[in-house]
Amino acid sequence: MSESLIPVTVLTGFLGAGKTTLLNHILTGDHGRRYAVVINEFGELGVDNDLVVDADEEVFEMNNGCICCTVRGDLIRIIGALMKRAKKFDGIIVETTGLANPAPVAQTFFVDEGVRAKTRLDAIVTVVDAKNLAAQLRDSAEASAQIAFADVIVVNKLDLVSAEEITAVEAAIAAINPYARLIRATRSAVDVTAILDQNAFELSRILAFEPDFLDHAEHGHSEGINSVSFEVSRPIVMQKFQAWIGALLQEKGGDLLRTKGILDLAGEDRRFAFQAVHMMADGDFIGPWQPGTARRSKLVFIGRELNRPQLRRGFEACQVPA
Amino acid sequence: MSGVVALTDRGFTRDLGAFVVAVAFNRAGSQAAFGLGDGSVHLAPIGAAALSADWARVEAHDGAVMALVPDAAASGFASAGDDGRFIRIGAGGGVTEIFASGGKWIEQAASVLDGKDGYLACAAGRVLHLFSAAGARLRSMDLASTVTGIAFDGRGKRIAVSHYNGASVWFTASTSSAARVLTWKGSHTGVTLHPAGEAVVTSMQENALHGWRLADTQHMRMTGYPSKTESMGFSRSGKWLASSGADAVVLWPFFGGGPMGKPPLELAQIENVICTRVACHPKDELVAAGYADGTVLIVQIASGRVVMLAEASGVAISALAWSPEGGRLAAGREDGWAALFDLTAR
Repeated sequence: MSESLIPVTVLTGFLGAGKTTLLNHILTGDHGRRYAVVINEFGELGVDNDLVVDADEEVFEMNNGCICCTVRGDLIRIIGALMKRAKKFDGIIVETTGLANPAPVAQTFFVDEGVRAKTRLDAIVTVVDAKNLAAQLRDSAEASAQIAFADVIVVNKLDLVSAEEITAVEAAIAAINPYARLIRATRSAVDVTAILDQNAFELSRILAFEPDFLDHAEHGHSEGINSVSFEVSRPIVMQKFQAWIGALLQEKGGDLLRTKGILDLAGEDRRFAFQAVHMMADGDFIGPWQPGTARRSKLVFIGRELNRPQLRRGFEACQVPA
Repeated sequence: MSGVVALTDRGFTRDLGAFVVAVAFNRAGSQAAFGLGDGSVHLAPIGAAALSADWARVEAHDGAVMALVPDAAASGFASAGDDGRFIRIGAGGGVTEIFASGGKWIEQAASVLDGKDGYLACAAGRVLHLFSAAGARLRSMDLASTVTGIAFDGRGKRIAVSHYNGASVWFTASTSSAARVLTWKGSHTGVTLHPAGEAVVTSMQENALHGWRLADTQHMRMTGYPSKTESMGFSRSGKWLASSGADAVVLWPFFGGGPMGKPPLELAQIENVICTRVACHPKDELVAAGYADGTVLIVQIASGRVVMLAEASGVAISALAWSPEGGRLAAGREDGWAALFDLTAR
């Protein structure tokens, strides 16, 4: 990954969760970095930053046959224009409206070659209100989606909840997405370095940490979004995997919010990292396997109506014959 | 390329220090202007004076210049910026404000002058504003999504804009704000109008152009580009539509029934180097083209003959414009390099 690509952080979260406070905290923090901020409402953000851009969240469908391939056209324009500016900045923060689905923002970074040439999606950060998350998950599909897409989740307003409630909130999050990193906060006061420049979308970081697979599997009931993960021990045949995952994403991409994996490909000494947002997939070789460690391929799905046995059989069938 | 003539001694260059977003000549052809990513506009006199004289630097926008066009008058320019201002820049560098959006970026601008009738236009977000040549706001039109391009036809009778799911066209003299809406699903990122008003063409997110013949709203699909078309325009005669987005200048025929089902002409190919800017000559069937590697050249449509003006530098050409009489060409690069080429007989 090129160092010169500008990192983009997507900030999601329901109205009142503390997004704006977090944004102010980032922009006024003493970290010596300059951020361009793309927001949806001028005025709401009372912050002194000459790089605040007022955007209309304009989503359009790509004409490529994927019903879920929606992209933020305004972001493509804004990023293109920001790159022409003489005043340089270290990163871009894209704030989405409370009810927004993060998928179109993420997909924008897969689809547009101009955007890909200049920027990289760094992480999706979701701010949740610890007091109200349970109710929001009950009432709204978007709340679950924002957690499902997140790489980092700021569990905010801890001063308003008990220790038991914190445990319950974190369990509810893990039931949907056990792979996101949780950061506890009060009044959005978090260490900025824990949110920005995470390289969460960098393929080498995928599955860098190892969640407890069995612990969280199959007990999420928030809008039907949960996660499953699989591990296989024999090397993967690339053609078989491509054929299987390609057909799977094409058919079920609407329900598969995020897919990530590290593969041990037959005949390869390097690890292959794979990720997808809905139907849009990306993959590349990352560093070699550590000597002395077991080469095992792992695949994680976060989405709706995940058919565990079917997915397992499909993934297992991609291995070289026993 | 075969038959290449090098005329690389006909230009002189300056380093303006910031991304050249747009370049334009005034309508009299006596001054060129370069609009930059640091908000400045640089005014260059034309002719021998440009070599020696200082180019006036105008602090036009607080932020970046987003669009720069000739004023709807013999001299001067109009520019739009991400400071939400649409301004007029006089020949001497004086600035007067035409319109302020209240903070919203003004990303698009256009102008036209035919005889003594002229118009200026700009777009802030989803609203298109049409002004008289004097700068009085005539009408404001609300669109369903952001305006991504504005174009007038050759005589200023029509104005067209691109947006999500198509384009909209108005008669400038009409008092009705109701547009003729041309529909095609997808994200349309730029627009041009046939000089005689025969067709509207948009560039699209999906590396394609889409056209509508205005007589019968016949659709025209123009595909096959390896990357997005960021620059396009009709030749003076209206016979050809020149476009960027491939490793050649791609020209679609707009005669003998139009471009449907026909392959385009591909001229001045530089293998694996994308053409980033095209500019059709104001009088002859010639196209100037700039490439991602910094090459600037002119190609004759009929013969395919190429005249090389600037060799590859490694930095993409980001702006290109002909003077109104066609004797001079201005070009700018992403790194602030600006060039004026004198192609008049010596």
